[in-house]
Amino acid sequence: MRNLLNLAALLALPVLLTAARTHETNPMSSAEDFAEGRRLYRIHCGVCHGMDGNTGRGARLARRSYRHGDSDAEMFDLIEGGVPGTDMPGVWLEEDDIWRILLFVRTFAAKAGESCVAGQGDVAAGERLFSGQGSCLACHTVGPAGGRLGPDMSFAGEMFTPDQIRRALLEPAADVADRYRTVRLVTAGGERVEGVVLNENSYRIYIMDRAENLRAFDKGKLQSLETPTESLMPAYGNLLTEAQIEHLVAYLCTLREDRREGGTE
Amino acid sequence: MRLRTPFAILASALLCAAALPAEVTLQDLLDDPRVGADWLNYHGGYAGHRHSLLDQIDRSNVESLRLEWAFQERISEKFEVTPLVHEGIMYITVPPGDVYALDAETGARLWRYSRRLPSKLIACCGLVNRGLAILGDRLFMATLDAYTIALDSKTGRLLWETQLIDYSLGYSGTHAPLVVKDMVMVGTAGGEYGIRGFIDAFDVETGERRWRFYTVPGPGEFGRETWAGDSWKTGGASIWITPSYDPELDLVYWGVGNPGPDWNGDVRLGDNLFSDSVVALEADTGTRRWHFQFTPHDVHDWDATQVMVLLDKEYRGVERKLLVTANRNGFIYLLDRQTGEFLRATQFVKQTWAVGISEDGRPIRRPGMEPSAEGIEVFPTVAGGTNWMSPAYSPDTGMLYVSCREGSSMYYKGDTEYRPGTRYWGSMFVNEPTMHNWWGAVRAFDPISADLIWEHKLFQPAWAGLLSTAGGLVFAGTSDGFFKALDSGSGEELWRINVGGTVQASPMTFEVAGRQMVAVAAGGSLFAFALP
Ligand code: HEC
Ligand code: HEC
Repeated sequence: MRNLLNLAALLALPVLLTAARTHETNPMSSAEDFAEGRRLYRIHCGVCHGMDGNTGRGARLARRSYRHGDSDAEMFDLIEGGVPGTDMPGVWLEEDDIWRILLFVRTFAAKAGESCVAGQGDVAAGERLFSGQGSCLACHTVGPAGGRLGPDMSFAGEMFTPDQIRRALLEPAADVADRYRTVRLVTAGGERVEGVVLNENSYRIYIMDRAENLRAFDKGKLQSLETPTESLMPAYGNLLTEAQIEHLVAYLCTLREDRREGGTE
Repeated sequence: MRLRTPFAILASALLCAAALPAEVTLQDLLDDPRVGADWLNYHGGYAGHRHSLLDQIDRSNVESLRLEWAFQERISEKFEVTPLVHEGIMYITVPPGDVYALDAETGARLWRYSRRLPSKLIACCGLVNRGLAILGDRLFMATLDAYTIALDSKTGRLLWETQLIDYSLGYSGTHAPLVVKDMVMVGTAGGEYGIRGFIDAFDVETGERRWRFYTVPGPGEFGRETWAGDSWKTGGASIWITPSYDPELDLVYWGVGNPGPDWNGDVRLGDNLFSDSVVALEADTGTRRWHFQFTPHDVHDWDATQVMVLLDKEYRGVERKLLVTANRNGFIYLLDRQTGEFLRATQFVKQTWAVGISEDGRPIRRPGMEPSAEGIEVFPTVAGGTNWMSPAYSPDTGMLYVSCREGSSMYYKGDTEYRPGTRYWGSMFVNEPTMHNWWGAVRAFDPISADLIWEHKLFQPAWAGLLSTAGGLVFAGTSDGFFKALDSGSGEELWRINVGGTVQASPMTFEVAGRQMVAVAAGGSLFAFALP
């Protein structure tokens, strides 16, 4: 029976867009490949894994190491074939497109092997800075505590490399995720409102303002509406010393899922 | 002027610079729905009335009611949610495990939470969820993998999750939780899988368990002797509808599901407490104050998971705290909710299993109506004279509105063996031979005498609940895809729309930006209606 099926598969091959893998590592690398990978991910994966790789009913992809394997080849096979017996379906795409998706998926997390480690930083000092002088906690949550304007940092140690954290602190505007786009608007009555965009359509824009209120605005009734590429997060280059930034890196690297597992349950 | 939209937050923020984000308080929950604009509890209030004081939409203008917005998702499951609305934001669950915050004015999405669910969930009747509870800036949900979870109402972020029990044994959570004081309460579904049902209360802040009440008593507990042998271990008695609550008596009224196995009672001789009962639990401790069993030793799958409607009314010349409920077994019951005393029971659909109800509230059974190997036809159907869909009670008309199901099923009995996580049914029911005689009706009753006041016939029995409003209207959904408004005084149909999918949810109403809207889930969509 199995042979018959294989034969059928062979005969069908020339006309099907199957994704027999011909590479061990990802051959895609250009900006265009990345953009296309992102587009395909949005269509095929985003609904379950979230555009940030961190929300949704699929597994969390914003992590440094995967249960089903970290190598390019292992991940290709997983994305193509899915995980039988689970909701992870697999995709029917050409080989190059799957590599492009993987190129995008890799940005969720640090490259496997590179680890988020304390370096020269002091974890305790970093923790103090996070809630104290740095006022990071005003905008970020860790566990149950914190503000809602920025992304959750409870698993920062699995989501970022030290370099990504440094960059986020020094040049926050360089890479602002869709979900945290900044909006600045002036209402008909002259009120100035600043916040992050939750949703937008032809008529309305929905934001979380600086005071964390969820608000809706009729776009046609605004005096002005800007969505600058800046981040609501301040650039910390002038606010913190280099050593302090290293303390924060050290602290954030310790925030991992396994840390939580010892918690309330 | 009542500002309740996100703009209201803006307005108040302008007035006093330090305005706190508006959170749902315990007082709001107690007031609801007397305040009107919001809808903060599955039933629209603790008393289970599903009645709103909003009256912008009324008998005179309802004919111009029109679709305001729709929300669609890729839903292949039954969409059974009753939304909550607070300050212009609507919160819904979408099966199997998603939660959305929507702009109540336009239906646009503000955030989504998706639960990561195991792939082999065990649920008899669809991967459904009926909604949320809210307190402060937190939402609470019972999940199909048998957890209670708390989410941040502003971001959808998971704040805590506490496991009820291992879902793979057949347990799940499907009903909208109930918040009482600083606790959130949830019971487990799974009555078709030989579970042992229970109700848990959790600390809203931490998710820590405060108490548990087993709906099937164990060794040494009251009622253990109502289960032969070890049958209590697999007795079922699930919970899958939100209870009612009396803040003065501080009692929570839970309707409990069928005993297991459903159609073969031989392995569980006895009354099988607290299956098919209402149990009144003290809110702080979960201690049982009283119980009343509608169908002792049930063999027809007649869960008592219908809404417990709490009324303060005169009965035989004395003002009393009452509980009225139209039960799946075909009778409307009137109880004293302070003591559990049985006051009366009246048949409200055709039924052939009982000769009547005796003085003490026990059914007098008609012989030969138990399921058998050859099958026996019994009225009402296995879905009962009514089911989980909400009734409504209007203080204006004083009438109780019930979605009634007429018809019969063929009931079979067979052998069964308990295997964890698999069906524990004791055979089957069959509807095909009898379905031609099925029909439905929205009926208005006097809740005290149970006298029928009016009837609005439906082509098929409905799975949709009812909503009553101060505008003199009763909203109803149908299985053939209509959503309609009836005159609450006469039952006359005043408005209808084809929503293009079966309505299997109970409607609700709210006010946003000065306009009343009525919302209902149907097919794979949620619809909101308003006047032009
Ligand atoms: C229908 C929902 C769904 C879709 C669509 C989906 N996934 Fe998944 N995915 C899952 C689930 C569920 C898992 C967890 C499987 C398991 O339990 O092992 C998963 C697992 C994964 C994993 C493994 C994670 C690990 O820790 O090993 C990767 C990588 C992955 N998905 C990538 C993708 C990509 C890329 C796409 C789009 C091409 C995609 N998924 C589409 C649901 C989905
Ligand atoms: C005023 C609010 C605010 C403060 C204060 C703030 N952040 Fe942020 N942060 C944000 C927002 C919004 C984003 C998302 C947009 C972006 O990537 O810049 C963000 C993004 C980040 C990211 C990158 C997340 C990603 O997914 O790429 C890191 C890391 C981070 N912040 C760490 C910190 C640390 C550490 C501090 C304190 C020193 C801090 N933030 C202070 C608002 C803030």
